[in-house]
This record gives sequence, C-alpha cells and structure tokens, in this order.
Amino acid sequence: MPVIQYKCAGCGSGMTFDSTTGKLSCPSCGRQDDIEQIPDPLKKEVFEEGEVHEYQCNSCGAVIVTEPETSATSCSFCGSAVVLSDRLSGELAPALVIPFAISKEEAIRAFRKWCRNGLLTPSGFMNADRIKNITGIYVPFWLYDLDNDVEVRGYATKVRTYRRGDYIYTETHHFEIYRRIRLNYVRLPVDASEKMNDKLMDRLEPYPYDQLKPFKTPYLAGFIAEKYSYTDEELFPRAKEKIRPFIDSYISSTVSAFHTVRFTEKQIDTIAKQVKYALLPVWMVYYDFDKTEYTFAMNGQTGKVVGRPPISKGKVALWFSGVSAASFLVLKIVSWVMGGGFL
Amino acid sequence: MNRRSNRPHLKKIQSICLGCLLLSMLSIAFLSVSGWMAPSLLAAPAELLAPAAESEAGSVQYAKEAGTKTLIFDKAGLLTREEAEELNALANRLGAKRETDIIIVTTDNPDQEDVMVLTQNFYDEMAPGYDRPHGNAVILTVDMYHREIYLAGFYKAEQYLDDSRLDLIRDQIIPYLSDGDYRTAFEIYIKKAHQYMGIRPGVDPENLLFQTWFQLTISCIIGGVVVGMMAYHSGGRVTVNHRTYEDKSTSGVVKQYDRYLRTTVTKRKIPKNDSRPGGWGGGGGGGVTRGGHSHSGSRGSF
Ligand SMILES: [Zn+2]
Ligand SMILES: [Zn+2]
Repeated sequence: MPVIQYKCAGCGSGMTFDSTTGKLSCPSCGRQDDIEQIPDPLKKEVFEEGEVHEYQCNSCGAVIVTEPETSATSCSFCGSAVVLSDRLSGELAPALVIPFAISKEEAIRAFRKWCRNGLLTPSGFMNADRIKNITGIYVPFWLYDLDNDVEVRGYATKVRTYRRGDYIYTETHHFEIYRRIRLNYVRLPVDASEKMNDKLMDRLEPYPYDQLKPFKTPYLAGFIAEKYSYTDEELFPRAKEKIRPFIDSYISSTVSAFHTVRFTEKQIDTIAKQVKYALLPVWMVYYDFDKTEYTFAMNGQTGKVVGRPPISKGKVALWFSGVSAASFLVLKIVSWVMGGGFL
Repeated sequence: MNRRSNRPHLKKIQSICLGCLLLSMLSIAFLSVSGWMAPSLLAAPAELLAPAAESEAGSVQYAKEAGTKTLIFDKAGLLTREEAEELNALANRLGAKRETDIIIVTTDNPDQEDVMVLTQNFYDEMAPGYDRPHGNAVILTVDMYHREIYLAGFYKAEQYLDDSRLDLIRDQIIPYLSDGDYRTAFEIYIKKAHQYMGIRPGVDPENLLFQTWFQLTISCIIGGVVVGMMAYHSGGRVTVNHRTYEDKSTSGVVKQYDRYLRTTVTKRKIPKNDSRPGGWGGGGGGGVTRGGHSHSGSRGSF
C-alpha cells in the first residue's frame, strides 16, 4: 500500500506537521514527535514500476481521489493526512525540503495585512474577508548549481572633456577589451510544477536556504505536495534564462570604468554541476472579489506575498493628483528658495 | 476584530487628507496660472529674500496715494488712445505689485538727443517713482528719430532689473518694435518688468524652473511615474539580485585586458553668451543722471 499516514502513538489520531514547532504533532492529545527521530517509511518500501491508480485511506478505507501530480494530500472523507509514497520515491524522491514556518492562521493574518497595505487596491478588497480558499502546497523545484564560463570581447571608450581657450575639447580613448569570467551560481530555484505560474513563483524568491533540510515525508503531513512535471533537463533552458540578467550585470560591473562599451562577442558556457530536487513551501490564496477570482502566493517561510491585486481607478487618480500636487508644491518652494518668486 | 474595524476609519482620514492637500495644491496652481492673488502675498517672498531693499518710512504713505497715475508718455503718438489707456492701466496694476513705476516714453526727438540722455533727463525732470519722487521706476524710452530704445531701472528696479535683465527684455521687444507693433512690444515690456522684479536679483529670470507650466509638467510626470511604480509593484517586487545565488568564493574574473587602440579628439567652440538678435551693441549698460540718480540700462536700435 503506497500510502503513508502518521498515527499518534498515544491516541491513534492522524498526526500532521506543525510549522511552529517544526515537529510532527497530534491535534488530539498534543503529542510532538521529532521528525529527525522518525524512521522514514519511504526508505524501506520498494515499488514496482508503473503508476498506481488507486490509493486507499488507512484510517477509513475510502478511496483517495487525487490529481496525478499530487504526492501529499488529505483524505477527502475523514480528513487525515496522507502521503502517496510511490510519488516520492525513486526518480521522484526529493532530496531537500524547506518546511513551512508559517501556519495557516498566520498566513491568513499576513495576507490580510498585505491587503490592507495595498495603496491602490479598492477599499472592499482591503478587508480581505473573501478568502475563498487557502492551501499550503509544497511546490516541486529544481535547485541548479550552475557553472558558467563567460568570455566577452568588445570595444570601449573613456571620454574626457576639457576647456582650452574658446574651445571645449572632447578626448576619446578607444580600447579593445576582453574579459574571461568564471561565474558560479548555487541553488538557483526553478519551479517544476506545470500548474504554478512561473512569474508568480519567481517573485516569491528568495527562500531561506539555511532552512533546507534533507527530505523526510513527515514534513508533508497535513499539506498538499506535488511532484515535478518537468525534469531538470527540460527546465535547464529556463534556468539559463533566469541567470542571464545576473551574468549581464556581472559583466557590466567589470567594465564600469568605461564610458561606453560595445560588446562584439559574448560567449556563455553553462553547465549544471549539480541539480537537486526540492520541495519549497508556498501558501496559495484564492480570493473572490467583484466576481473575479484572484490568486496570490505566499512564501511559506518568509511570508512574502505576490500576485496581482485589483487596482482602483479612484485611488490611482487620488494618488496621481496627490503626488503631482505635492511635487508641484516642492518645485514651487525650490523655485522660491532659488529666488524665482512663489507665483 | 476590534483592530480590524478601526482600520477603515484610518483609511478614510488618509484619503480625506490627501484630497485636501490636492485641492489646495490645485488652487495654488490655478491662481498662479491666472496670476490673480493679493499683491501683498505676491510681494512677500521677494521682500523676505531681499530685506535690504527698501525701508524708507515714507514708502507706505506714498504708495497709498498712488491711484492711477500717468505712466505712458506717448509723445510720438505710436498708440491709439484706447491702447494707451489699456497699457497705462496694466502698468499701474502690475507696477503696484512691485512698488515700481513702469514707465514708457516715446518721442520724435526733435532735438536729436541721445536716447540715454533723454531717459536720464526725463527722470530728473519728471521725478517719477512709486514710493517717492525720484523713487523706484523702470523707464522704456523709444527714440523714433534714431530708431533707438533705452531701458533704465532706478532704485529697486536698478537692483532687480540689472543690465542683463534689461537686455533680456530688450531682445524680446525689439522684433515687435521693428514691425511697428508698438502695443505688443509695450505690453511685453510691462509684463516682463513685472515678472523679473518678482525674481531675486542675480538669478536667471528665464530659468525653466521658475515657469509654472514647466513646474506643472514636471509634477505630472513625477505623479505618473510614482503611481506607475506603485501599480507595477502591487503584484510583489522582485527581491533577488545578481548576487543572491552567486557563489562568491569561486566566481571572479579569470583573465582580462584593456588594449589601448587610439585617441580621437574633437573640439567645439564655446558659444558666446551675448549674441543678440536684432539691434546693435551690448547696450552700454547704466549710468548716473545729472541729478545724481544711479540706474541700470540697456540700449538698442530697431
Ligand atoms: Zn495523540
Ligand atoms: Zn480517510
């Protein structure tokens, strides 16, 4: 049976991961088990090839209905946490996990606070009382260690101007430049889930990597987890695309002494030295406002919220006029201080 | 629950404050565009900045007596009566705000005197002045015989309308004088004299920053950019940069060179500041009348 459930040794209730204590805890009797001490049942089980089509809840025997990418969920019948171990083993075994540090209640509170701080969001939205659903999801990520061998050639100039007599002289020194740079990036996260919006996931970064832990299934108990939809090879181009602006900005920093730079050749060789499969914690918030559903994501460790909130035209107008008026006043004062008269 | 119910009030107060600020700003903008405001308020900043200007005891009294006085002396008959009256009213109104008589003298110059001497004699004999006889005055003399003009500033006007500012005014009116559009030329002269006297001596009166239309444009650009940024960031900022994932211990420049190729030099002539369109000469500047009144000045032909 490829279903893992954690039963409390004290009272027999289903245990879940507690983001506050970082332990496996029993909601009925309050028992807390240290996850490091629990032998991971994953390691012992061996599965035959092929997809398992039906999972049964160990507690109530009901059939667990899941989407094909789900690796952890809760029984829709009795509510106990279930981990589908065959979707977390072999090729699909995560190496690392960052457990949730923010509980559901904290997430709701943080989301409400974020809504209230929205300067352009409509007042009705700011109450944040239409949270339709909030789900803690372990999103599959590939963490790439990328080694880059960068070679650039180009032309650059240094410009000096000086005055002599009635003339302004502009002196331009031309150089041929060359840079060879070794540029290594570690644990660059790329989301491997088909469902998740890449832009949303990218903005959730950074994750506190000091919280990375070797993967253990109990961390998933009580949350939803997904398995990757794309392999690390499939996502390698996306990883390269993600570091490209970093590389460009590093290159620029090495030629900042010049006034103009024109590159004739930029060669970047990227190799993935190591790729690790990790599950990172994200709270997904589904919010109904004005007959539209808005989706927000919250970093399950840092509490950072991303997602496009609706924008109130009235507030935009108010802020635009307010800021413009304030700038106008400042300009008036500046002009007055400079001797230009107030009006 | 308590805390949450308090919040909407706070927001309401915030937006009311913002609205008030906005309204007051807009009214200032409107007033400054239409140029309608109490003269005392208008004069105040200039006074504050130049406290050394005038402190004669008699100035207030004299100013009160000044109703509508004759400031346009159109002896050459360049204006119709309506035009002269209109300009006289404008000169009275704007001159009062700057406590300065803004005077125009036109003459056929039968004695063929020098335009500067004409101006000086006019001042000595007529004893104009907003605050007192031989007081604050700016005079535009139009000599139709030599087709020359002279601008002179006395006392406060000497300080605020120095040679270079008078040159600026002269440059702006000469094209109209050449075209025979005297009314427009005189109107510009009166308005510019008024405008420049509201600006502290020594700064460029045509500085863009002092222009209300420019201030409004810049303010709207700032407002647009700020709100644009707010809207852009409402979905969450990107908080990683190129150093976030960089392994500093193993990254770095391995090899580099900057090979010098050549140097190119271009030169550009520094433009002369006093290039004057129309009319001749740098205008000689000011002087002292026979009656002993010092003044700034600018002359030119049309
Ligand atoms: Zn228990
Ligand atoms: Zn069940």
